[in-house]
Amino acid sequence: MLKVIPFTRTCIACSLLVVGLVNAAVDDEDASCGRFAPLTFGFLPLVSSEKLVQRFAPLVHHLSTALNTAIRIETAPDFDAFIRRTNNARRYDLLFTAPHLFYLARQKADYHFLVSVDAPGMSAIIVAPQQSRINTIRDLAGRKLATVDPMSLATLLVRKQLEENGLDPDTDLTLVSTPSHNASLLSSYYGATDASSLMTPPFKVASPRVRESMKIISVTEKTPHMPISAGSWIDAGCRADMKTALLAMSSTAAGRDALHEAGFKGFAPTSPERYDSLIWAAEQIDTE
Amino acid sequence: MKHAPFSFYFSLRFRLIAGVVVIEIVMLSLLVWSNITIIHTTHADRLQDTANSLIEQIADTSGSYMFEVDYASLHDYLNKVIKHKELSYVVVLDRDENPVVSLGNAPTEQWPTVDLHPSEVDDAVFNTSRSIHVSVEPMGRVLAGFSLAQMESAIHKARVRGIVIAVSEIFLTVLATVLIGLHLTRRLGVLADAAGSVGAGDYSVIVPTETADEVGKTAAAFNRMVGEVSSRTRLLEREEEKSRKLLAENRRLVHASLEVQEEERKHLARELHDELGQCITAIQADAESIRDISAGHDQRTEASAGAILEVSSRIYDVVHSMMTRLRPGILDNLGLVAALKDDISVWMQRNPQTTCRLNTTGQLDKLGERINIAVYRIIQECLTNVTKHADAGNVTIDLTGEIDRLLLRIEDDGSGMPVTAPIGGLGLIGMRERVEALSGVFRTGMAGKGFLIEITIPLQGRTGVQV
Repeated sequence: MLKVIPFTRTCIACSLLVVGLVNAAVDDEDASCGRFAPLTFGFLPLVSSEKLVQRFAPLVHHLSTALNTAIRIETAPDFDAFIRRTNNARRYDLLFTAPHLFYLARQKADYHFLVSVDAPGMSAIIVAPQQSRINTIRDLAGRKLATVDPMSLATLLVRKQLEENGLDPDTDLTLVSTPSHNASLLSSYYGATDASSLMTPPFKVASPRVRESMKIISVTEKTPHMPISAGSWIDAGCRADMKTALLAMSSTAAGRDALHEAGFKGFAPTSPERYDSLIWAAEQIDTE
Repeated sequence: MKHAPFSFYFSLRFRLIAGVVVIEIVMLSLLVWSNITIIHTTHADRLQDTANSLIEQIADTSGSYMFEVDYASLHDYLNKVIKHKELSYVVVLDRDENPVVSLGNAPTEQWPTVDLHPSEVDDAVFNTSRSIHVSVEPMGRVLAGFSLAQMESAIHKARVRGIVIAVSEIFLTVLATVLIGLHLTRRLGVLADAAGSVGAGDYSVIVPTETADEVGKTAAAFNRMVGEVSSRTRLLEREEEKSRKLLAENRRLVHASLEVQEEERKHLARELHDELGQCITAIQADAESIRDISAGHDQRTEASAGAILEVSSRIYDVVHSMMTRLRPGILDNLGLVAALKDDISVWMQRNPQTTCRLNTTGQLDKLGERINIAVYRIIQECLTNVTKHADAGNVTIDLTGEIDRLLLRIEDDGSGMPVTAPIGGLGLIGMRERVEALSGVFRTGMAGKGFLIEITIPLQGRTGVQV
């Protein structure tokens, strides 16, 4: 009995200690991210505003709940504005951007990598209608190819792919810039262009009717997937909390639902140095 | 043609026109009020629909701009929207209620409260608001004010137009009502005038029928009625004239018979006085001589002479009494008042239970024989009636001679007679005939419980019915 009582007391003391630590951790968490409220989460305008909100608002809400901090979702009218707001104005506390633009943000505005989309990587593809005579990338000579924003990774990858196949993207064919990946895909579907270029993830979630009527004629090299980063003015504690919350999303049903809406399986804690391989793309972006 | 005067305000013409005008004014006022209310509501609803539609469009369009934080594009877009003529201002607020774009006459100090409906606005601007969402994500809200000036202007125009139409309609209605009313009531007026003429005895009027409508039919019926009334009236007048002549004849006969009766009485009284009186006087003189001669030596003769004197004296009294009743000599010799006093004195001796007072006033000595005998006979008949029917304690006779008339009032305190009772006895009828023969007025009535007779006989122009 005399031995049991000290053991019980120890257990109770340990339990109280754990609870205290947990509470302290929660308090710290509130203190770390709460003082930045409301946080602004900037999303690269990959798709239309409506679709962007539909895809990523659940993720933002989930993160807001996890951090117990108000987070506002934002975007920009185009890539150029987004890049300037990211690098020059440091407008976004949290940043979801293209891999090569993250490289720029990290270099120019000291954004800290948190997580990346848990996927093997992504490529750009060139597709053409099934009945089209365009079967290889070389068949694009003299044709019109729909692209996304000139600063998008898809466009840069396609341009590189064209050059590697002996085609000058500025003279041998006509690149037609469209507002989004889906717009690029639909332009050749409706015959406005001969072919379309876009990243693989948007192609996979495109309308089956459209997707099945297209054939892939070229796939570019793979790049690391989309990263999420935080501004350097966000303290390390808060960034850690953000990272923890993002990584933990796939472990809860609510988190998985939010990820499903975003089209992701989850997030992975990869190294930010992986994005250094995209320096060639980043150098083509005129940040001024 | 004359007709009874009447107030213009109670005339059919005035009431018809005034009624229609009042109804028109009331109904059109209600109509105008109703229309203005409907117009106001319609314009207010239209403005609300416009405001809802426009602000919905602004909110939808602003969502992307707000999400993209592209305020320049939002400003460009709203610059086009603000050109809407009813839009007074538009303000887009971010999620922190900070204005990101403000155009027009936007409030600067405090955002106005949102109005529910333009009809409930009190500051000439309909303030409305919509939240801005992208998908379900709130991005802020848009606040817009819509000027009510255009709506008020439209309502004012509609109100003026409605009032002008209403006033025009009232004017035309009044004009039409007056004209139709005058036309209709003129014909009714002709009918009324014709009825007035018929009422005044002019059966020669003929109302023109003019048309076959109700008024025309009434006029035709009126003409037929006037014709019928006219013929019947003429027949009635003829019958009345006949009756009047017969009555006059009868009266003449009655008066003549009275005159004859009085004359016969007078003659009879004179004969009695002259013939029988002389004889009785002679008999008495002879009887007195016989009595004086036989006195003391022939008792039987003396007694017989005494008896003759006594009987003749009694006969004389009877004859005298008859003479007095037939024609009181005192009336011719001493006048009406003395004759009445004498007669009343004799009557009171015969009726000691009744006191009769005669009050005379004025000049009564030059009334003339016809009036004297009539008054005397009337009073005589009255006293006889009192004796027979009245059971009175007092009888008062007032006889007043005025300048132009003679007033006779006979009143008793007996059992009387209802005024409405028909005059059944010949006494009262005879009295009336005597008075009317002198162009006088005969009237009976009640004096308390007793009976009253009042007679007025004109003293000037005593024409009456001559016999």
